[in-house]
Amino acid sequence: MNRIFIVAQSEFLTLVKTKAFIIGLLLMPVITAGAIGFQIYAQKHSDRDDHKFVVIDHTGVLFTPLQTAANAFNAKNGEGATRTGPHFVPEAAAAPADADAYRLALSEQVKQKQLFGFVEIPAGVVDPNVEKAPSIQYYTETPSYDRLPDWLQQTLNEEITRRRFDTAGVDQALVKKLSARADVQTMGLVGKKADGSVEKAKEVDPIATFVAPFAVLFIMFLSVMSSAPQLLNAVIEEKMSRISEVLVASVSPFELLLGKLFGVTAVAVLLALVYFLGAGYYMIYSGRTELVQPALMAWFVIFLICCVLMFGSMFLAIGSACSDLKDAQSMMQPVMMLLMVGYIGSFAVLRAPESPVALTLSFFPTSAPFIMMLRMAMQPTPPLWQPALSLALTLVTTVGFVWAASRIFRVGVLMQGKGATFREMLKWIRQA
Amino acid sequence: MAAIEIAQVTKRFGEFTAVNNVSLSVPEGSIYGFIGPNGSGKTTTIRMIMNILLPDAGSVAVFGRHSSSTARDDVGYLPEERGLYKRMEVRRLLRYYGQLKGKALKDIDPVINTWLERFQLSGWANKKIEALSKGMAQKTQFISAIVSSPKLLILDEPFSGLDPVNADALKDAVLDLRRQGTTIVFSTHDMTAAERLCDRIFMIFKGNKVLDGTLNEIQSTYGHDTVRVKVAGGRAALAAATDPSTIEAMNDFGNFQELRLTSDPQRFLQSLVQKTVVEHFELTRPSLHDIFVRIANPSAEDLKRPVSGAD
Repeated sequence: MNRIFIVAQSEFLTLVKTKAFIIGLLLMPVITAGAIGFQIYAQKHSDRDDHKFVVIDHTGVLFTPLQTAANAFNAKNGEGATRTGPHFVPEAAAAPADADAYRLALSEQVKQKQLFGFVEIPAGVVDPNVEKAPSIQYYTETPSYDRLPDWLQQTLNEEITRRRFDTAGVDQALVKKLSARADVQTMGLVGKKADGSVEKAKEVDPIATFVAPFAVLFIMFLSVMSSAPQLLNAVIEEKMSRISEVLVASVSPFELLLGKLFGVTAVAVLLALVYFLGAGYYMIYSGRTELVQPALMAWFVIFLICCVLMFGSMFLAIGSACSDLKDAQSMMQPVMMLLMVGYIGSFAVLRAPESPVALTLSFFPTSAPFIMMLRMAMQPTPPLWQPALSLALTLVTTVGFVWAASRIFRVGVLMQGKGATFREMLKWIRQA
Repeated sequence: MAAIEIAQVTKRFGEFTAVNNVSLSVPEGSIYGFIGPNGSGKTTTIRMIMNILLPDAGSVAVFGRHSSSTARDDVGYLPEERGLYKRMEVRRLLRYYGQLKGKALKDIDPVINTWLERFQLSGWANKKIEALSKGMAQKTQFISAIVSSPKLLILDEPFSGLDPVNADALKDAVLDLRRQGTTIVFSTHDMTAAERLCDRIFMIFKGNKVLDGTLNEIQSTYGHDTVRVKVAGGRAALAAATDPSTIEAMNDFGNFQELRLTSDPQRFLQSLVQKTVVEHFELTRPSLHDIFVRIANPSAEDLKRPVSGAD
């Protein structure tokens, strides 16, 4: 037992001292925040060009209001160094004799970057009597840029609607008032207070509904991903440099395997705790103490331990059976896929937490730690028998995986030469 | 009590018999050399002593105990191909190896300090292994094998790849450890080192024990038939004056020839002086190198066989 601890301690220290871990631990939140910040900044600041476009206005009435709206838009985005967005510069079209030739000429101008694009507004758009208004054509070389067409659609339609109402002699302000929409508000259920009176239902908030469960899932995934796969590299390094021979001359392969698994599990738990502490601090700081749930944390830690042990054993078994990293890369693909099932499946589960897919994934041992935790962090929480059964299945599977891995590890860690196939690994498991 | 007692041990890997009915007794406090060509069973034997492999038949006892972890704790081991954790600091690595042998840090630290100082590595104790030169890493690896102050030290090819200065430093260290009572077993291809260091020599070939005894005993078993001869006229004159059927093998050293005879050396000399002028005639004992080559006589097939872990 003592030696298992010594191996675990060494494994833990080795992993915790790696730059990757320290960066992952300390900088991960910083990098995430930085990335979001940069994205916002880039969106605001990268698009600061003048976009000149020609407007072929067959209605004859829309160009002037469009230009007015463009001026307002440009003014809002500022001028010179303090400018925060693009300027839209509409230009009235000449009256062309040949429409097709004119479109071709404009297209050439766009290609030569003299224009950003051009818009053709059919005459029928302002007619209040047409059943379906003809569409406005926007011609561009850069269809991925959607700010200009979005702005055109909104600005032109506001003006078109106003004109149709005017033509029909309807007061637009009255229509707006009469057609005001009633929103649907999503509420939680009504409960009873301690004194027996009815407690008012609370409005469902997106943080509790989506953000918190997803954060729980993400922390689980992150903790497993940054710990268990490390075992693969560690074992292959030891094997290739014959360190494993020295280790096995001091401790039994099973002690070595358990020590490594425990060391890596400790790393995963440490990582998760640090993230939860951060999240918990933030919740308390922002007055959302009801989101800090110690019982959920306890379930999380147990599921996390099982998950790391399960995947850690798989990586150890593969590492011990391979002769080099290249060999291992291909063999670890199925394990990585198994690891991803829980993560990818979570998107379906988030939408329908009680669907058959969600139930299956909650009881399938390799995805259970992810999916069951996700569901437990969501509303409605599953009945207690579900996480209990899920945990029982996961525990049994974990024990099975560790056992099988120890059988493979025992043979594989001393093997030199070519790596083993999955079939050979199965044979090693069955061998007495 | 013998440090190692191997009794009729057999180890097979599938159809291949790596070690066949081998018995061996290594006395406490001796230096025992294991020799044999690649793939002959040395490493398999060592691994059975280390309890890394279990024999299919027979028994292995270390200090009277069979395959227990306590017996293993008394054994230090330096494997043939050496590696260390590149990103671990020297002291941390040595402590780890010592702790794995069940030793407390308070017992390990003085040993580490003594040996680091002896190998002039004190200044490197807190540096990572990857910062060490090859020679320093080899010495660190040697310390890792003795950090638990083992009663038995097993070294697999300890001198291969070392420069002469480091090889000498290691040989001195081995002799010092023996003086302090440590039993040492080492496998080697360096026959000169084996002759110089070993009290007893064990040779295994194709899984079978072929030699086991002191250098003296071995040389006198193989030593009756080797002579060094110098005749006027050199090698050509010697060839002309001798009957080829009386010579089993000849090793030409230029100035003289070393012959392994099929007949009695006295009779051979008598016949030789009748035919030519003998300038020098000496009965010699064959070197360990010669004995090794004579037994192993590697055929092309043997040389082609890959060196695998199932040695």
